[in-house]
Amino acid sequence: MLVQSRRAVPFDRLEGPETRLRLVLLGGLAVVSIVLFGLTLRSLPFPHTRTARVGAPQVVVDAMGMQWSWLLSRRELPARVPIAFAVGSRDVNHDFAIYDSTGRLLAQVQGMPGYTNRLLYVFPRAGEYTVRCLEYCGLGHHTMSTTLTVTDR
Amino acid sequence: MTYGDVPPSAMLWAPGRSNGDVLRASLAYMVTGLASMLLMGLLGLLMRLDQAGMLIISPTWFYRVMTLHGSGMIASVLLAAMGGIAAAVSPTTRLSARALWIALVIYMMGNGFVVLATLVGGFAGGWTVLYPLPEHGLVWSLGSALAIYAGYLFVALGLFLFCVQMLVALARSHGGLTKALAWRFLFSFGRDTRDALPRPVELIAAVIAIDGIAAATAGAIYLIPLFAQASHLITSVDALFAKNFVLLFGHTIANLSIYVTAGLVYAALPAYAKRAWPLTWPVAAAWNLIIPLMLLNYSHHLYADFAQPFALQLLGEIGSYAVALPSFIVTIIGALALMYRSGMRWSSASIFFALGLWGWVFGGMGALLDATIPVNQVMHNTLWVVAHFHTYFVLGALAFAWAYLSYMVEMLSPVAAHRGIDAATWLYGVGGAGFILMFFVSGANSVPRRFAVHLPQWQIYGRIAVPFVVLLALSLAWISWDLGTRMRSAWRATLDSSGVS
Repeated sequence: MLVQSRRAVPFDRLEGPETRLRLVLLGGLAVVSIVLFGLTLRSLPFPHTRTARVGAPQVVVDAMGMQWSWLLSRRELPARVPIAFAVGSRDVNHDFAIYDSTGRLLAQVQGMPGYTNRLLYVFPRAGEYTVRCLEYCGLGHHTMSTTLTVTDR
Repeated sequence: MTYGDVPPSAMLWAPGRSNGDVLRASLAYMVTGLASMLLMGLLGLLMRLDQAGMLIISPTWFYRVMTLHGSGMIASVLLAAMGGIAAAVSPTTRLSARALWIALVIYMMGNGFVVLATLVGGFAGGWTVLYPLPEHGLVWSLGSALAIYAGYLFVALGLFLFCVQMLVALARSHGGLTKALAWRFLFSFGRDTRDALPRPVELIAAVIAIDGIAAATAGAIYLIPLFAQASHLITSVDALFAKNFVLLFGHTIANLSIYVTAGLVYAALPAYAKRAWPLTWPVAAAWNLIIPLMLLNYSHHLYADFAQPFALQLLGEIGSYAVALPSFIVTIIGALALMYRSGMRWSSASIFFALGLWGWVFGGMGALLDATIPVNQVMHNTLWVVAHFHTYFVLGALAFAWAYLSYMVEMLSPVAAHRGIDAATWLYGVGGAGFILMFFVSGANSVPRRFAVHLPQWQIYGRIAVPFVVLLALSLAWISWDLGTRMRSAWRATLDSSGVS
């Protein structure tokens, strides 16, 4: 940018290339956007799309968020089985986020007062998983976590 | 005052009349906004030091500071942007300086309420004031929640007044709003040029004024039920309704900052590229498209709310992709083409403009990734989100705002910039890029946002970021000192002017 901007040429000589560049970019980016959008439709995280991909849930876990802890109906879960987390909230907005033991975020859904959001997830392997709240919910937000134990049962 | 081949569109003075009173109000907006931004930036440094484990702040204070930093920064950047756009349209549009000052006072009263609510009232509900947290904070009072609602309402009212005034003035000067939006030219695919076309910055000002009015209205729709609930007039507010409207308000305001300041690129970059940037059909089409698209893309913040209607979820992704196309293809490519082989005159202002263009590109790429639903599933509410909007702000909207203030001072003040100011501007870019890069790395490693306490394995990102934030602060101190020493003569020039360039 610095080098090319110092050399002056008449602007009208550039208008043709600029228009062509715009058209190429418009076409290229439009195609990329449409393809990307189409691909995302295959891997949406919403309950009906995940059910279609991984099958109906075999285990249902009720997860209720409250300042600043999670109340879970069970903590020991099977690996490689579709599990539905029915996530709600008793007070403010929370976010039920599952982390693996390496600290990688795997999936999340909001826990909202007055609503129950269902997150379908299949744990790929046994191990300890951490649930953190990712929606800011007050002064104890960063302490709001719990663990899940996934087994090969 | 001229710059060789500077096109008239780049000038600040109104031909044949004085717009010095509007320029003074504009300078007040920009200086207030950018000075507040510096203070809010220092609060950001405090938070990053805490997350790096280099300075321990109690969670109580961390979240207060976080709330003030977020709300204050958004309000500051938008204020500076509003000042810039008022100055940029003032040569050809008769704005009322009195109305500008009234809007500024109301806007700043709102900011005063926010400062009181957080620092005195202990409010720490986050800048999003996401219902019902403000009323269920457990440690702050309902009074401080009401104070922050009042603050937001005043900010929305100040923005509303500014935008209405802008729209009315533009409609008057062009003989109607549709002419200010160049609709006859647009819908004839550029063939019908019977109407005098607005300058790009005027069309952009009309676009953002329309969306600004929509955003302020969304803010009122969000806040009025909350006041009603606090007064026991209604028992509760639907959480999903509240989330939609607070994001339509807040996200659109944050978006407005970048789009308003992009208008400043059209207004001032020609002075440095020494080429005109007239209204063309792609520019008219792109900016008219921004009107609906800017109001749609907030929905990508609700992907994790599975209760949100499915169509709105898809619209969030489509709208986010769609809004990127006109911005990138028309404004960014247009600006780069304007600079390409132009014999560009490099100064602090034009360096800021160049940084802002690249910041917009990279911030946009980060935003597009996050707006892709399956990616968002593992990125939402991590520091990736923080990374993309800091890129938009620090290396986008703020860079453009600093550029335009530098341009104004350069135009108005006879005092030359100090030596080394160009280097300081480049250092701003280096500091900003390093600071933001560590947010991106943190987000890619799933580090959550809005955590007062970071795990030891996350602190390394903050430790690397801190020196870059310090560099950013030092460069801004240098640039502010330079502009500050020339501001008095710039202000005087607006008083002495006969209004003829």
